[in-house]
Amino acid sequence: MNTPPPNHLSLLWSLLLVSLVPLAASAAAPAPAPAPAPAPAAATAPAAAAAASDSPSDASVAGTAAAATNDDAAGTRALDQQIQDLKKDVIDLNRDLFVLEEELLFPANTQVAVFVSMDVGDFFALDSIQLKIDNREVTNYLYTPREVAALIKGGVQRLYVGNLKAGGHELVVLFNGKGPNERYYRRGANLRFEKGVGAKYLELKITDHARAQQPEFEIKDWE
Amino acid sequence: MTPGRLSLGLAVALLAAAAPDVRAAHKSNPDKLPSIRVQDLHYGDVLFHFWADQDAGLEALTRLEAYNHWQRMPHHAVDAQLLAAGLYLQLTMHNEAGARFETLLGDNIPPGVRNKAWFYLGKIWYERGYYDRSEQALNRIQGSLAPQLEAERTHLLVNVLMREGRYDDAIARLRSWQGPADWMAYARFNLGVALVRAGRLPEADPILTAVGTLQSDDDELLTMRDKANLALGFAYLQADRAAQARVPLERVRLDGPYSSRALLGDGWARAALGDYQAALVPWLELRQRNLLDAAVQESYLAVPYAYGKLNAAAQSAEYYEAALKSFSSESDNLDAAVARIHDGHMLEDLLGTDKDMRYGWFWQLKTLPDAPQSRYLYTLLADNDFQEGLKNYRDLNFLQHGLLRWDDSMEAFAAMIDTRERAYAEQLPRTDALLASDAPTRLRAARAAVDSRLNAIETGNDVAALGTTEERAQWAQIATLEEQAAALPLPPGLERDAATDKLQLIKGVLYWRLDASFKERIYEQRRALRELDAALEELQNRWVLVQNARATVPTNTGEFADRIAALAERIKSVRARLVDTSGQQSVYLQTVAATELTAQKERLEAYAVQARYALADIYDRAAGQADSAPGRGAAAPDASAPSPEPAPSPEPLPSPETLPAPAPAPGPVPEPR
Amino acid sequence: MYLRFDSRRAPANDVKLAAMTDRLPTIRRRLLAWLGLAALAAGATTSAAAATVGLIGRKAPDFALPAVVGSNVRLSEYRGQAVIISFWSSRCSVCARQLTLLDRLYSTYRSSGLIVVAVSVDDDPVHAEQYARAHAGGFPLLLDTAKAVSRAYDIDRLPTTVLIDRSGIVRYWHGDDRADDTSYITQIRALLDDAIAAP
Repeated sequence: MNTPPPNHLSLLWSLLLVSLVPLAASAAAPAPAPAPAPAPAAATAPAAAAAASDSPSDASVAGTAAAATNDDAAGTRALDQQIQDLKKDVIDLNRDLFVLEEELLFPANTQVAVFVSMDVGDFFALDSIQLKIDNREVTNYLYTPREVAALIKGGVQRLYVGNLKAGGHELVVLFNGKGPNERYYRRGANLRFEKGVGAKYLELKITDHARAQQPEFEIKDWE
Repeated sequence: MTPGRLSLGLAVALLAAAAPDVRAAHKSNPDKLPSIRVQDLHYGDVLFHFWADQDAGLEALTRLEAYNHWQRMPHHAVDAQLLAAGLYLQLTMHNEAGARFETLLGDNIPPGVRNKAWFYLGKIWYERGYYDRSEQALNRIQGSLAPQLEAERTHLLVNVLMREGRYDDAIARLRSWQGPADWMAYARFNLGVALVRAGRLPEADPILTAVGTLQSDDDELLTMRDKANLALGFAYLQADRAAQARVPLERVRLDGPYSSRALLGDGWARAALGDYQAALVPWLELRQRNLLDAAVQESYLAVPYAYGKLNAAAQSAEYYEAALKSFSSESDNLDAAVARIHDGHMLEDLLGTDKDMRYGWFWQLKTLPDAPQSRYLYTLLADNDFQEGLKNYRDLNFLQHGLLRWDDSMEAFAAMIDTRERAYAEQLPRTDALLASDAPTRLRAARAAVDSRLNAIETGNDVAALGTTEERAQWAQIATLEEQAAALPLPPGLERDAATDKLQLIKGVLYWRLDASFKERIYEQRRALRELDAALEELQNRWVLVQNARATVPTNTGEFADRIAALAERIKSVRARLVDTSGQQSVYLQTVAATELTAQKERLEAYAVQARYALADIYDRAAGQADSAPGRGAAAPDASAPSPEPAPSPEPLPSPETLPAPAPAPGPVPEPR
Repeated sequence: MYLRFDSRRAPANDVKLAAMTDRLPTIRRRLLAWLGLAALAAGATTSAAAATVGLIGRKAPDFALPAVVGSNVRLSEYRGQAVIISFWSSRCSVCARQLTLLDRLYSTYRSSGLIVVAVSVDDDPVHAEQYARAHAGGFPLLLDTAKAVSRAYDIDRLPTTVLIDRSGIVRYWHGDDRADDTSYITQIRALLDDAIAAP
């Protein structure tokens, strides 16, 4: 004879049924006790899979989600779209502000910009760079390991932007760093250059050649 | 790898692969990433910020778009576009990224790069709940990805299929799937679950059992093992096969995250087999745990139910009473929590005292604050929609903060432009008048005139022309006297000749003097002219500079003023939208949270109702037996079946010692569904 | 008693004060010292209040400074983590205590994402180095000999401890040497609980 199951049990059963629905990778299952929610697609990719496939503890939420109508899903998506558009507008705004700032403060016909690039970096751990233009210090920049790593990976830092009148000028650069045997040392380089009409770009190139086992410092004038 | 690094991995892949001239990895360290060959300085600057800045690529993207606007990266057209798309993706702007990938990922892009792009896009769409788009993106992958990514791709697709109820497709995909060892367990797990959902339990058993018995030290794998056992166990319970359910359930770790459910299920399995005494073992254990757990809540009822089955009515009643008390107090807590959510405090609790955070889609909450009501939100946080909603909220706040930086700048710019305008208002008219005077042309004309005059003098040997003022006056005087002399009606004779001779003599001397100095004077004049030329050239140069300056500057100032004003307006408007949208997102989150908590409360309420019915039934029966009315006793309904109305308890609860002998079981053991 | 420090003025501030008091008879000196302290306390309170209002809720000014030992440190690289900056001087005796207490907090909470840096305002880095050698701690000691950073943060007393949240906003400000007080723990936990996974 089949009696209907006790009502108070049916609740949990229905929830558990839903629990077999796989959920998103990020919806890992925390225990209700104060255990931290697992990191998403965390240390190994498979974790994402595990989290993604089944989360019985999400049962109640899944139940709620299941109960949620299509309206909710549509509403969420509409909000998400709205946020997408808004974010794009913010990015565009950031860009336009950046453009305005530079065109206003450093117009093309007077702009001079100094870049730093690093090739390899075994023999010189960059610590700081000091720039002087026409005998006036314009920048004294300290480098962190993260920034040096970015340079070594191929990044080219725009270290300085300023304005100069047309004519002859002199750039003096002091590189401070650590050499291959942990010794601190300082190297200098200078360049006389002509500022014409239009922006002037100068590149400070730090290269080290295995052959020489020494860093070399060159200033390239991008005519 | 964290998702964040996966996105970076995409970006590097995009960079490295799209740029054909990739420098070889550094000789001394083959594990170092290959350097990117940068041909445009500004592209290099973007890369620098991409790697060095701790802002999920926001600065890098801003610069990328700006440098693009100025067309400063001509050699990196494709690289820059790909990187931009990758950055948009990293910033959770999947619409933008998707649109860009659509146009960018043509045949000119290496397939490896294309595939990776589609993979990450598909993955983020899955995270965001756009399953259809996720499937589309993932299906655009041609060929295979790297094994780990390929495995994840299959997994994502399978999840999409399962969500859409297409179990047969999912099963088909997983059946013969082979992948890296660490993924196989997960694939088998998913296959097992799909089979269960498709109602194919016999096929699911060996698969889930295999996963449920795997040996590992890895905590994640062990957790998955627990899940497999749990899923199999409950599948059997659902199919009324309690004996078979027990086996996997007892494999679930007691100290793992699924132990509560396993204990509950194990209890029901034992109960289904008629052994209520044995069922009490896991249930009593479970009952000591945190009441927030749904399984624990159920155990509060399951325990007295078992005691009822064992005819220990007093204990049963006691436990029902205790359950009611606990449910009631927990219900009050839930009410307080819901109230707090509606007051708007939930997000503060979740996010600490501040509301803005890290940008980007790949982080998640690891710990929760200590506020009491936040414990209810643990289950909520497991919900993907909620998580993504929370990220949106924090992203919006981050962006709001980012805009603050420009407020001071805008003021400074406006002041700058104002000053500039006023300065120009003074200077420009003067400058324009000066330029209009066209001095160089006039001066050059004058110089030309002087030059030709000098030539004429030289050619004509016009010594008198270069005389001093005095000399020229004398010369003129002599000329006048000569005229006068010629005009005089003097008879030819000595006097006239003497006068003429004297005049000639003076003229001769003067001429001789002029002639002697002529060459020198010519030289002097020419030298002066050369100096004039030098000055004229200098003037010409400066003139050009002034003209150039005049040409560029004035139009800018007006333009700038307009641009500054327009941008200030845009900042205001965007800021308002950010505030409004994060408000909407916050309301959404609150609604989800409140709904969840209300659902929890309803569950408790339902359990409480059951408990009350059961209690009433016990009291009825006790009252009935105390009255010694056999019919009534025989007709007394099963303690576990719902009574129509809970009767009030007329007398104090009988103690166990005074209980009569156990009555025969009133009906068959109810099968758990 | 806190050393009054004005980063805007010449470092010889306190030297001048000492010189002044040396010339006075003992009783008058004591009296003046009391008055001075009262004035300092009043001034310090108002200026601390001013400083409290000033930067709290605003973006922490970014900076890069060299460390006594180890590589240069840039504040913005710690975005995503909770940061404590403690301004100190080798001549300030209570600063040492504060640093020791902060070191304990650091050991407890570093795994949850807490960063601590100490910024020395000594004119001569040698003093800071000596201190560093004498008190080995877990976190970097940075040198602000040019006082640019202490100016940016408007530091006028030592020790000053600034607590910054994970998005780089200044949230709490302490002008005391009571890093063992529960308020610090509560604040640190609030900052950390605003939790996110590190990238």
